[in-house]
Amino acid sequence: MNWSVWKPSPKQPWDTKRVKHLLRRSGFSPDWKTIQAGLGDGVGGTIDQLLDFSRQDESSQQFESLAKTIGDAAVGADSADRLRAWWVFRMIMTPKPLEERLTLLWHNHFATSNHKVNSVAAMYEQNLLIRTHCLGKFPDLLRSVVKSPAMLIWLDASTNRKEHPNENLGRELMELFTLGEGNYTEKDVTEASRSLTGWTVTAQKFHLEPAYHDPGQKTVLGTTRSFSGDGLLDFLVKQPATARRIAWRLCQMFFGEGVVDEPAMKELSDGLLARDLDLKWAVETILRSELFFSDANIRSRIASPVEYVIGAIRCLEMNQPPPSTFFLAAQLRHLGQDLFHPPSVFGWPEGRAWIDTRSVLARSQFADQLVEGQFYQTKRPIDVSKLLKQYGLAHSTKRSQAFYADLIGNGEESTSLAKEEANAKGEDAMPRQIIAEIISSVDNQII
Amino acid sequence: MLNRRQVLQDAALFSLASTIPVFMKSAAAGEKSNDRILVVIQLSGGNDGLNTIVPWKNEGYAANRRELRLKEESLIRIDDETAFHPAMGRMAELMQDGRLAIVQGVGYPNPNRSHDASMAIWHTAKTEVDEHRSNGWLGQALDTFDPQSRGPKGVSVSDEVMPAALRSHHTMIASIDSLQDFQVKSFPMQKASSSVNEPPSSPLAEFMKRTTLDAYATASQIDSLLSRSASKQVSALSKLEGPLARRLKIVADLIRADFGPRVYYTQQSGYDTHSSQLNTHSQLLGSLSNGLKAFLDDMEAAGYADRIAVLCFSEFGRQVAENASAGTDHGTAGPVFLAGKPFRSGLHGQPVDLNQLDQNAPCHTVDFRSIYVEILRDWLQVKPHEELRPFEGKLALFQG
Repeated sequence: MNWSVWKPSPKQPWDTKRVKHLLRRSGFSPDWKTIQAGLGDGVGGTIDQLLDFSRQDESSQQFESLAKTIGDAAVGADSADRLRAWWVFRMIMTPKPLEERLTLLWHNHFATSNHKVNSVAAMYEQNLLIRTHCLGKFPDLLRSVVKSPAMLIWLDASTNRKEHPNENLGRELMELFTLGEGNYTEKDVTEASRSLTGWTVTAQKFHLEPAYHDPGQKTVLGTTRSFSGDGLLDFLVKQPATARRIAWRLCQMFFGEGVVDEPAMKELSDGLLARDLDLKWAVETILRSELFFSDANIRSRIASPVEYVIGAIRCLEMNQPPPSTFFLAAQLRHLGQDLFHPPSVFGWPEGRAWIDTRSVLARSQFADQLVEGQFYQTKRPIDVSKLLKQYGLAHSTKRSQAFYADLIGNGEESTSLAKEEANAKGEDAMPRQIIAEIISSVDNQII
Repeated sequence: MLNRRQVLQDAALFSLASTIPVFMKSAAAGEKSNDRILVVIQLSGGNDGLNTIVPWKNEGYAANRRELRLKEESLIRIDDETAFHPAMGRMAELMQDGRLAIVQGVGYPNPNRSHDASMAIWHTAKTEVDEHRSNGWLGQALDTFDPQSRGPKGVSVSDEVMPAALRSHHTMIASIDSLQDFQVKSFPMQKASSSVNEPPSSPLAEFMKRTTLDAYATASQIDSLLSRSASKQVSALSKLEGPLARRLKIVADLIRADFGPRVYYTQQSGYDTHSSQLNTHSQLLGSLSNGLKAFLDDMEAAGYADRIAVLCFSEFGRQVAENASAGTDHGTAGPVFLAGKPFRSGLHGQPVDLNQLDQNAPCHTVDFRSIYVEILRDWLQVKPHEELRPFEGKLALFQG
């Protein structure tokens, strides 16, 4: 099985379940028309579109230009709240959801927090760099992000001088960005840090200060050279451990618990190493694979706050017109995923760590507030029949339940739940609270 | 449709022993905890210690404070040298009936005057900047408690990011800013019950269902607590207004409900008084003083007086000489308040020496870590972490 290309079969058809699986894992919960389009385009065609970041149609151009205006204004106002709102705007409106999800993935990999950086401009710049390289070659991504002023401030690069090296950047570079823990020694950290001496920020730009750089011989992972900072990065990205860590990081996003076994991980990691850590190759290999569409991988992951919140907005088409992106960013923070402010260099822990008693309740409240339309500046409760009318579907109570259970939920469980509720209430029209019920159900947290 | 309470009483639900949160078990068995509780009130922004505990007789006070000098006749005297700010009548009462200790001149060597850096020093009890990502002084202590017991061991009651003081290795810390957040409107127990009735489809689904059940059970507990406190509890705090009183009331309600955590942490912000300080500062101290007294009175009325200790601190004091805009700039040492019956009431440490200043700010005479050591050792009964050992001294803040 593993990485060979998945083909639909009578037993595993290209159906609503698998369309939703593909679009949720690679982006956000899709709306009804996107699901229908996916069914029509087939699995190959749908993945082709997901991976095409160079699309320049009119709606993409309009989106990019509006996003740029909002982002530049956040920088102009030096407002972290506006910066958060900018990214939320991108996520709820983008025609390229995979691009935002990969940007978030690498934001977490290179976890940098504005709490310390304290510069909206630097955080914005780093985010744009990540977006540019998120599906390119990892060495390019690494080089641009590690040398971004936000990262240099975050990890105290400027205090790393040849007389008294600061190991903060050197350590995280090896532990988190490339090799991973256990693949280097403390001596390697010291030697790597010597290689990085002289990297500073001058006039908000990267600057190599020769006077602070230690040009001597360093021995890293048993190799002795007069490593420069750039030379060190080039050396680290060629290590099998780095390929392995990048493969693990990608699988963290695209696969559920325990789906990727050791041989599969090794195969993916070897493939990355042989291709100069080409992320597009890896993401495409994953998305088209039998492993990705296997039953074990479907509904096997806890939805992050971003997936939960943005998914709800997009699948219910509440982005036309969009609700307040400030309110949504505050919700993400409340649910534990404060954009641009990951909790530490380790980023968000992902998976089960998203779920605790408070977050369960907070997710439930989010759903309640969402259907009441409380994330708009002026309250705008959900009109249950609107989407059904829009798509020319009959909007009886029963049909509404099935539609929403199918659109948001994961199938039968949600349908039965909705039915139970409606029966218990004995009402003619489906109450909008049932939509909240489906969104915040136990089942819908596992996607 | 079942309501929440009915579902909680449902026998089928109770048969799922492993999924029942600890507090429900103890409630069912009629047990009551006797654990000691620490409540921290962080005064954010840098409190002007000189206008809080005032050295009214000292010539230096009048000389340095012109616009900001508090009138002698309005001060509430503690002794021949020191007096409370006029807005602190309730705290003066606390001291009179033996429920308030004040440690004067608290700080640390080489004081840092940046809010963030100094706050991080107080939170981690570490003075080196590169150690500020480590766990908090309270989080570390909570990590040593029984890892088997479920539920949060620390609660941050605030709308702010969780304070680094509570940062821990593995301990669950809850963050609450309103009990209403824990009241879920739609059909929460229906959700939880329909989940537990279905066989779990995977370990992940099992985890999700268990946590959901815990959450709704917690919500149910808080829900019943709210209905009880609304009907029966006569609360001094409920007569007060403002964010601090509101948050202290949450703390009081949760403690009375035997919620479980050993540490509650809340904040009162606004102490960064660079300009027009008199009025703002007076309001803040008034809220603190009234809130603290009402909180302790409520706790005493509920029979918790011997189990509650309150620590109030600020990241730094302010400069002695006022600035040109009727305010004060960032300084160094200041007073720390320790409220509650367990403390040895009265003044501790030396009065501020206005003749010996460090760049226009008082020098510290007591290291804050020596207060931490006694709170950990004598109150929470935790072995103080290695780095704090050198600060074990003889403040004797607690009753023998």
